[in-house]
Amino acid sequence: MAATTIATEAKTTHSTSRRRRSVEGKPFFAVAFTALFFVLLYVPIVVVILFSFNSKKSLSVFGGFSNRWYVQFFNDEGLQSSLRASLMIASIAMVGALLLGTMLALALERVSSRPARAVGTVSLVPLVTPEIVTGVAALLFFTGLGLKLSLVTVIIAEITFSISYVAVIVRGRLSSMSGEVEEAARDLGCTSWQALRFVTLPTIMPALIAAGLLVFALVFDDFVLAFFTTGVDPQPLSVRIYSEIRLTISPAINAVGTCMLAVSVLLVALSLVIPRLFGRKDSSLDLISGG
Amino acid sequence: MSTDLQDAVAATLPGAKRQSATRTRLWGWLLLPPAAWMIVFFVSSILIVVALSFGTVNANGRPAFGTSLANYQALMNTTYLTVFIRSLVYSVTTVVLCMFIGYPVAYAIALHGGKYKNALIAALVIPFFASYLIRMYAWSTLLSDEGLVNQALHTVGFTDGVQFLNTPGAVVAGLVYGFVVFMILPIYASLERMDTALIEAGKDLYHSPLRTFFAVTVPATRAGVLGGVLLVFLPALGDFVSAQLLGGPSTFMIGNLIQQQFFESQNQPLGSALTVVLMLALLVFMVFYLRATQRQNRET
Amino acid sequence: MTDTARQENPVADAAAIDDQPAIRLINLTKKFGEVTVVDHLNLDIRRGEFFSLLGPSGCGKTTTLRMIAGFSDATEGTIVLGGEDVTSVQPHKRNVNTVFQSYALFEHLDVEGNVGFGLRRKGLDKSEIKRRVNEMLELVDLAGRASAKPRELSGGQKQRVALARALVNRPEVLLLDEPLAALDLKLRHRMQVELKEIQREVGITFVFVTHDQDEALTMSDRIAIMNNGLIEQSGTPEDVYERPRTKFAAGFIGTSNLMTGMHSEAVLTLESGLSIPLPGHPELTQGAAVSIAIRPEKIWMAEFDPGMVRIPGTVSATVYHGATTQYLVDVAPGVRLTVLEQNLARSRHDDRWTDGDTVELGWKPEHVVVIG
Repeated sequence: MAATTIATEAKTTHSTSRRRRSVEGKPFFAVAFTALFFVLLYVPIVVVILFSFNSKKSLSVFGGFSNRWYVQFFNDEGLQSSLRASLMIASIAMVGALLLGTMLALALERVSSRPARAVGTVSLVPLVTPEIVTGVAALLFFTGLGLKLSLVTVIIAEITFSISYVAVIVRGRLSSMSGEVEEAARDLGCTSWQALRFVTLPTIMPALIAAGLLVFALVFDDFVLAFFTTGVDPQPLSVRIYSEIRLTISPAINAVGTCMLAVSVLLVALSLVIPRLFGRKDSSLDLISGG
Repeated sequence: MSTDLQDAVAATLPGAKRQSATRTRLWGWLLLPPAAWMIVFFVSSILIVVALSFGTVNANGRPAFGTSLANYQALMNTTYLTVFIRSLVYSVTTVVLCMFIGYPVAYAIALHGGKYKNALIAALVIPFFASYLIRMYAWSTLLSDEGLVNQALHTVGFTDGVQFLNTPGAVVAGLVYGFVVFMILPIYASLERMDTALIEAGKDLYHSPLRTFFAVTVPATRAGVLGGVLLVFLPALGDFVSAQLLGGPSTFMIGNLIQQQFFESQNQPLGSALTVVLMLALLVFMVFYLRATQRQNRET
Repeated sequence: MTDTARQENPVADAAAIDDQPAIRLINLTKKFGEVTVVDHLNLDIRRGEFFSLLGPSGCGKTTTLRMIAGFSDATEGTIVLGGEDVTSVQPHKRNVNTVFQSYALFEHLDVEGNVGFGLRRKGLDKSEIKRRVNEMLELVDLAGRASAKPRELSGGQKQRVALARALVNRPEVLLLDEPLAALDLKLRHRMQVELKEIQREVGITFVFVTHDQDEALTMSDRIAIMNNGLIEQSGTPEDVYERPRTKFAAGFIGTSNLMTGMHSEAVLTLESGLSIPLPGHPELTQGAAVSIAIRPEKIWMAEFDPGMVRIPGTVSATVYHGATTQYLVDVAPGVRLTVLEQNLARSRHDDRWTDGDTVELGWKPEHVVVIG
């Protein structure tokens, strides 16, 4: 234990000294540029949040703090039913995508047959397909089958789109888990199913939670797919906002937007932190940044 | 132990019929539901788009399958061609801008982020999971004629005001803002993987940080840049929200045309043809991309 | 053994069960496509012995172990475990447990949870599980770390947990797949001793896979040397070391001076023309090609006994190893022998040789091992 601590400390000092040296070693341009980048990245978000508390109706003059736009949002029955619809879509899509995506990831990690690899490739295609294509395709599929567009069709489309995300995250975690672990479980008296239930799933649970939160955030915010596959009433929140901002500019949208931002920031932050809480180094953050 | 004895022992043992101890159908069964789902809801729906692009709109305005090339012929006029070219120009510009913005940012975080590296990456990722629509909306209010930016310009003396919205610049800026993270992350990943000893060695060899950068760092991160190009170009070419909220009819892209066919003109076959054209453009791009990465793999 | 056999001759059958090996492999074969990894292997492993499968990587030793455990299907052949054909039995129904090379601990469970895993699957009651787990943790010297998570443990501790997790089930046979490979040298030596002690204490049959000859020699009751999917030789450590039966066995365990030549009239004539007396082997046919092996420590460079075979040579290199010094001695063009001398207190300075010295080598005829 002590040796590990010393090693960690040594590593930290080493990296600090290296950092100091390299910052002195010129690229002020890159550092300053990055600072500017982060400012621009957050300016619109900060503005939305700030003006959601504006007491005036203006979007350019701040007249002091007020919660009137939140009151308006929470009293708008249309927006409220859209919010409920979006929460429902995101919850169901999260469960569905987790179920199917985890199955896919497990099968792809364990089966190396040609058809399995083909399925693996196909399951990645949604990740590189522009959403508008997926949206058009889903729309035609549903109308072609004579299905009435509704929240159900939105949910199906969102699941299709999210399976790939779950599969990628879960596969990343599975690939860092030795296949011997499942063999050990079978060695100790588990059938294949029991090994999956008592060992594999508990081991990858942090990754599953992270993937679930991420999918919830993605689906809750998603506009394009929802736009193409939703029925008339109730509409998901993002679709509702879209039609509102095309008609008028209302500060109430800032309040709605702030709430949506809060939800997704919270979920994404949690999905980044949770695997670390379980002592895993490979959180979804590493998976995202690792390409 | 003689062979005869072995055979004798083997014969007396139960379970002479050979069975597999390890074969389990578990994984195969697990593959079935997601595979079925993807085939039904994704693969077949894409095929329907392709099929309907050869279809027609019948007398009562309903789409019908067919074998007509009329939709593709209809796309061969200057109005549509202008939009195609405009979409390409916007997307390519977006990719190039993302590259010039993304590289220094990825570089600074990867090589000079120190212990804040992970925090910085999280700070980068989180806004991109926030609603794209809300972020575009935020820019549209900021850049509007009475928006904060124009107000700021007014206070520093530009009393005329600048029209940002409805310009190509605003649409491209929206696209860059929307997708730049997809450029930064793969470049960051490839910089992280790069051995920093390479840079040290390069400094000894080339004596100039700038020459080292172009001779060592840039080639070592080519794969990351290529990945970023793909991840930015694909969604940029298919986008319609930026042009819708920050632009206008004069800046519309393919995505806007597709959206119009489905929600305004109600010409689904023509919309499908447009979607197929978009997919083909992306497919051609993918082929070039895969060629480039394969060459990259051969070289390294 | 079938039921009919039991009915016909119960007494003989009972005797047979007593003699029954813990594991009997009959014509065990594993092919991956066209590649034969294990080739018609026949092997008996006795009850209660510490048995090592020793060989270079890719020799089929791990595949053999995996077939015994049930993780890999035999292409051909039979695996008999305690008298029962288990060839087609699923791993969870075989009364064997495995210690994996990667330890394969369950990350989501603490040490106690890991060790008690197998017992919980068997449905034992809680107090019994607790008792046996504690007893086992006591045995592997981990009593204080019952509630630690695997990631908080050192390599050696993980190793002990893996061992305890397998042993607590009291399997008929414990399979160990290079369990010490990931440990550093010092810890490895300590674990070798501990493992051997634990085996003696619990009396369970251990089948130990390793590529490390020292490990196999120091720990095993018997060793099987595997190469290319075949067993080259099996026997006690002394057997396989002192009396290697194949060139591979002679070369793989320790270093050996191998020489091949034509035999006639108790003399071996090498290709280089060197003649080496080879007394005491009347069984060899005249004019046959014969290989002989002599261990470096069996060759003397001074204080010869009468009756030793003696040949002259020139020292070409010396390597000082502390307790021993290794000499490379040329005895003929292209024939270089390795000699290992103990650096005993009695060795005087003038006993030492340096490069270029002309020396005489001698060995006792009984220390020459004749290989086919």
